[in-house]
Formats: sequence, structure tokens, C-alpha cells
Amino acid sequence: MKRKKNVRLTGAIALISAVAVSLTGCGGRDDDSSGGARGASTGITDTTVTLGVTTPLSGATAGPGTCTVAGLKAYFGAVNAKGGVKFGDGKTRKVEIKAQDDAYDPQKAKSNYDQLKGSVFAMTSGLGTPTNRAYREAAIADKVPQVLVMTGDPIFSDTKESPEQLGFVPTYVNEGEAFGKLLAASGQDHKVAILSQNDDYGQGYVEGFKKGVEGASNISIVKELTYEATDTSVDAQITQLAGTHADVVFNAMSITPLAIASLQKAQQLNWKPSWFLPSNTSSPKAILEPGKAMAYPGVYSVSFAKAPQSPAFAGDEDVKTFLSDLKQYADYPDMPAFPHCMWSYMVGATLDQAFQKMKEPTREGFMKSLRDIKDFTAPLMLEGTSVDTTVDGQPAVSSVVVQKYNGTGYATVENFG
Amino acid sequence: MSLATGLLSRAWVRWAITAVVVVVLFVLPLQLDEYTNQNLARIGVFAVAVLGLNVVMGYTGQVSLGQIFFVGAGAYVTGYGASHDWNIVLVFVASVLVPGVIGLLVALAAARLGGLAIAMVTIALPIVGVPFAKRLSDFTGGSQGMSSAFSNAPGWTGLYNDQWQLYIVLVVGGAVFLLIRNLVRGKYGRAFAIVKDNEAVAASMGISPYRYKVLAFTVASLIGGASGFLYMAVIQFTSPETMSFGHSITLLASMVIGGAASILGSLLGGAYYVLVPQWSNDIDPNLTELLQGALLLLTLLLLPGGLATLPRVLARTLRRTRTPDPSERRQTPSAPPAPGRASVEETPTVGGIPAQSPTERQEQA
Repeated sequence: MKRKKNVRLTGAIALISAVAVSLTGCGGRDDDSSGGARGASTGITDTTVTLGVTTPLSGATAGPGTCTVAGLKAYFGAVNAKGGVKFGDGKTRKVEIKAQDDAYDPQKAKSNYDQLKGSVFAMTSGLGTPTNRAYREAAIADKVPQVLVMTGDPIFSDTKESPEQLGFVPTYVNEGEAFGKLLAASGQDHKVAILSQNDDYGQGYVEGFKKGVEGASNISIVKELTYEATDTSVDAQITQLAGTHADVVFNAMSITPLAIASLQKAQQLNWKPSWFLPSNTSSPKAILEPGKAMAYPGVYSVSFAKAPQSPAFAGDEDVKTFLSDLKQYADYPDMPAFPHCMWSYMVGATLDQAFQKMKEPTREGFMKSLRDIKDFTAPLMLEGTSVDTTVDGQPAVSSVVVQKYNGTGYATVENFG
Repeated sequence: MSLATGLLSRAWVRWAITAVVVVVLFVLPLQLDEYTNQNLARIGVFAVAVLGLNVVMGYTGQVSLGQIFFVGAGAYVTGYGASHDWNIVLVFVASVLVPGVIGLLVALAAARLGGLAIAMVTIALPIVGVPFAKRLSDFTGGSQGMSSAFSNAPGWTGLYNDQWQLYIVLVVGGAVFLLIRNLVRGKYGRAFAIVKDNEAVAASMGISPYRYKVLAFTVASLIGGASGFLYMAVIQFTSPETMSFGHSITLLASMVIGGAASILGSLLGGAYYVLVPQWSNDIDPNLTELLQGALLLLTLLLLPGGLATLPRVLARTLRRTRTPDPSERRQTPSAPPAPGRASVEETPTVGGIPAQSPTERQEQA
């Protein structure tokens, strides 16, 4: 009865093929989908421009991912309500946003990009190093701008390697360097102990810190230890570092529970140095309070965005507008739990600047005007930071200010101590 | 219907249809738009991965939660080889063999444990794989991943990249599907089915459950490697997230939804893996997981045997509405080509041991 089975299989395959052919109809290849050089690029008409976002909206990184869309929607929602953006070519266009979920999966990010590239003018704001890398080369080949994306990976800000890309947030190196410079400028002698995550994240911070203290005779690095991102405890490393009696700990750590545990462990050992923590593991509520950070002479971190939670900015105009836009246009009624909400709001403002300057409705024209923004203070930016897209090798925001924890939130400091 | 069956049973008609299908498959990439080609290629990648999972789980009944590890390993070997300018054939062979050897070593130990223990061992694979990929940054590019454009269309073909990549998937994936179809329909397939049904019976028939479990697991990891090669050819990028444990579970769900122990089901599973996230994104990007979960439940409630059983379920419903013809009913049992769960339940048993193996029964059908 083998034959009968074959009949069935052949029949099935024939059916599938017939369905496939009829579904696709007789659509031949539409050559040159990106439009000619004379006309407008894909995704831009006389009245609208469409932006694409692929970002994690489900899974473990859904919180920050949702924020990367919410801030953008809030900004352009408010702009559209006022009529739209007045472009450099004299036309006023509304900005539409097509956001898709990639669940932090590179494969899905590429798939989203493949789907979006036929209808969007540019990709923007998406969160994640592997997900952005997954379609970086395709975007270069297709000449689709992939700009102001949320990754600290320096490759996105290297014009030679990534002609169609530009990162938005400061790199890990930028952050480490800012703290190193502040420490070197203190004029006092400091012994620094370094603990870092053994990957590009930790290495970036340490590299930046060393760059910041280069040539400063008052700084000595007494011990450098690493841990793996998968480790469940760093007690051994903290104990070893405590033995050095260093007065500053540079802790390049991205794991929340480990950051809390290291703050606690040092107290148990009665070792009370000043701490540096990276921007994504320095949350007052989530890390410093459970870690009892007030026991230390100082806990420092870096930032470039005003924190809406902080009492210092409760009456700030930017913050008030931001929160009401977020509620009204982005369907995000809560206080933003992640800085990515503020960052993507700034991404919106930066894109707005580029749109206002671009003379032709083309992707080339857009990239040119985007790379020409200097000293622009986007809403929500802290004093001392600005958007500067003209420096090769640097993301749109490379300036950060060092802040010190004061028991409830952070306040910008000029000097160490 | 009988006319169609009569026509189909003639050899030349079947050959003609096969020829037409092959021609259609080779012309199709030239006719379709870029996005459809890319999507079909992606479906091919994951259909192969699901097929591998089907060999070990669907056909042999051993729970494996580590299939994505072999896909990731294959992708990394491909990426490493391609970036070091190895010959493409060598890259392919290595991307299949390296995961295969890992799979064999794991299976040699795990198959001794049997039952749920093998599931526990396979859980460990992706969990170990992700930090491994991050640490071996000299080979894997660390947490930033590695990309490789080895599968761009060569100039002499005059093809677009998406067309060339779809051809790679059609050739490699088609070969894998053909090989596995022959494997599971022959002597080995029968042995797998008996091991799945009852290991004691298998042993009493001179079939070593241990050996066949190891074999199935190794074949699954070889296919996983092939799928990884295709992954790299189509996505052109891999990072530790490729191997994340969640994807293994999605692969498993895809297999069940497509249809366990079914070649066609593997194809449908691949389509599920790729298309459902896209559809849910089109409906509401903020509710993707919820929609996918709802669809999963719905499919399993309506079609417990997976999408591959849809024609059969439809046929049965149709037959019920017609006047029952007793002789026809007896000749065609309600679920002929299912060496899966359905047939196990329906197999007449003698004191708990199947009176006939399902494959034997199927041969008689």
C-alpha cells in the first residue's frame, strides 16, 4: 500500500504548490522599490513621513523596550496635534510610527526590518545590541537609515563601518570616562578598586575609566577583578577588593541583584569606599535603597536625562510636558520606570531637528542633515549635556554628567567628594 | 473524488505532478517579491529545525528541550568558517558534524537515563550554550554576535540575494526533508515508533531502545546543525540570544502545532514559528505574546493532532454528515497516517501491550 501513501503525499504537495502560486498571483518582481533619485524616498509623501521601530515589547526586556516606543509616540503625538513638522523643503508632514515587537530576538528583528523597509523612511529608536546588529548590514546594503538606536555599541557610531547608522545613547566608554575625569580632577590621592563584568559591557567601562584617569598621578588602581554575567555571587571578589582598603570602587556591573549584593557585602566587611555605578544599575528605588547606599560616603553614577521621579524636577516644565504627552499620546499613564522613555522622547526631538533642516525628501538628504546637529539641547536633557552628531566615532549624545546619590535621588556634582 | 484518486494512482501522473512541483519551486523565487522570498526562506530554516525535533520527539517520543542549541551551534560554526574563508562545502559539513558530535556525546549519557531525565539534560544545553557563546568571544564574537554575508548572490547568477538564499534553503532543506522522510518510513522509522510506544516490547523484538534513542537524538542534532547553516545563510547574523531557552520552547510548540510525527507538520511548524509573530505584530505589537498564547491554545483545542491533521479532521466531519457506509468505514480507519498519539490510543491492546504496532497497521491501510 506504499503507492497509496505516495498518492496522498503527491496530492498534498500539489495542493500546497497550487495554493502558493494562486496566493502570490502573477506578481513579478517590482524592480527598484526604493524610488528613483529624483523623487521622494520610500516612506515619505507630501503630507506624512513614516518611521519604523523594532524593539522588544514582550519578554524580559519588554519594560525598557516599551519605553523606546512610548517616548517617541509621545513626542510626535504632540507635534502632530499641532499640525506636524515643518520640513526644510517647505512642506509640513505628520510623523507616523510603525512599531513592531522583536522580543530581543535577532532573527525577529531582521524579519521586522524586512517587513518594514518597504514602507518606512527610516528605522529608529530600537533597543538592543544584537537586535540592531542583526539588520545593520542589510540596512547598509538597502541604504535605509538606522539612526538614533538605543545601544552603547560603538560600531553604530563609526561612519566608515556604518554609513547609514548613528547610535543615540552614550557608549560605555563615555560613561566610564566621565567618572574617571571627575576623580582625576579632585586633586586628592585615591586608591581605586575595579570590579567589572567580563564582556564588552564591563570592558567598555573600564577602558573609559582608564582613559579618564590617564596621566593623573593622584589615582592609583590597586586591584582589578572581573566576574561573569552568569555568576550568582560576587562576594569573593568584594572580599578580595576590601583587602586593598581602596577608597573608591569602580563597579562596572549590569546585573541588578549582584549590584545590591555587592553594596551589602562591603558593609558587612565594614569597608566603606565611594562607589561608581553604571547608569543602568544605579536606580535609587531598585538598587540603592535595598543596598543601603547611604552608609557610604558617596555613590556616583552618570546621566544625561532629567529623572521625572526625582523631587528636584517635579516642577520642571520639560518634565511636566513630557509626562502629559506620555499619558495623552503614548497610552503610558504611569511614571516611566526606565530612562528609555526619556531617551526616546529626545530621539523624537533630534529627528525633528533633522527634519526641519532637510532640503530634499530623500534618505540621503535626511542622513546629511541628521549628521549636522550641534549643541542641541533636547527637552529633558540635563544641564551640561547636548546632542552633537558631528563627531565621527561618537553617538548623538556622548556627554554625560556625573551625579551623586543624596538619599532620595541624584544631583549633579562638579567635584568629587 | 474517485476519479481524481484513479488518475493520481497512475505512475506517469504522479511523475508529472512531481516534475511540475519541482519546476514551480524553482521558478517561484524568481516571481515573488523580496519580502515573500525572505519569509519563505525563514520558514524553511525553522521547518528544518522543527523536523529535527520531530525525529527525536515526534517519532521516537523522547522529550528534547535543547534543539535550539544545535541550531545555534550550527550557525556559529557556519559564521566562523565563512569568516575564515573556508570552502563552502567544508563549512556546511562542519556546521552539521560539530552539533552532531555534541549531540551524540550528550545522547550517549542522556539516553541511559531515559524518561524525564533526558528532558532535564536537554534543558541544560541552551542554558549552558548562551554563556558559552558569550565567553568564547574569539570564536563567537561575544555578546555582540557575528555576522557573515557569505550567502549573498554571486555575480554570475544575476540573482537578487533573497532569491539566491531561498534557493540555498530549497536545496539544503529539500534534501534534508527527503532524507528524513525516507528514514522515518523505513526500518528505522518503525524501530523509532516501537521505542516510542513501549520500550519493553521494542527490547523483546531485538530493538535496543538505548541505541535507537541515541540515534534519533544524534540525527536531530545533525539536522539542527543543518538548520543553523541555513539560519546563517538567511539571517546572516547570530548572537548568544539565538540560543535562548525560550526559542527552544517555541520550537517545541511549533512542532506540536504543526503536527508531531509528521513531515508535513514540520513544514507547517516552521511556518507557525515565523508567521505567527508577524501576524500578532500586525494586530497589536504590544500583545504579541498574549495573541500567540491564545492561538496556541485554540489550535490545540480544535486540532489536538496539529495542523497536519486538519484535512483528516475535515474529511471525518464530512463523512459523518453523509450516510455512513459500513464497508468503507472498516477499510479506512479514521486516522490512517498517524504513528503519533492518536493511533497509539486507538491501537487495540492486549493487556496494555499494543496488539499490532501502529506502523504495521498503517501499512495495511
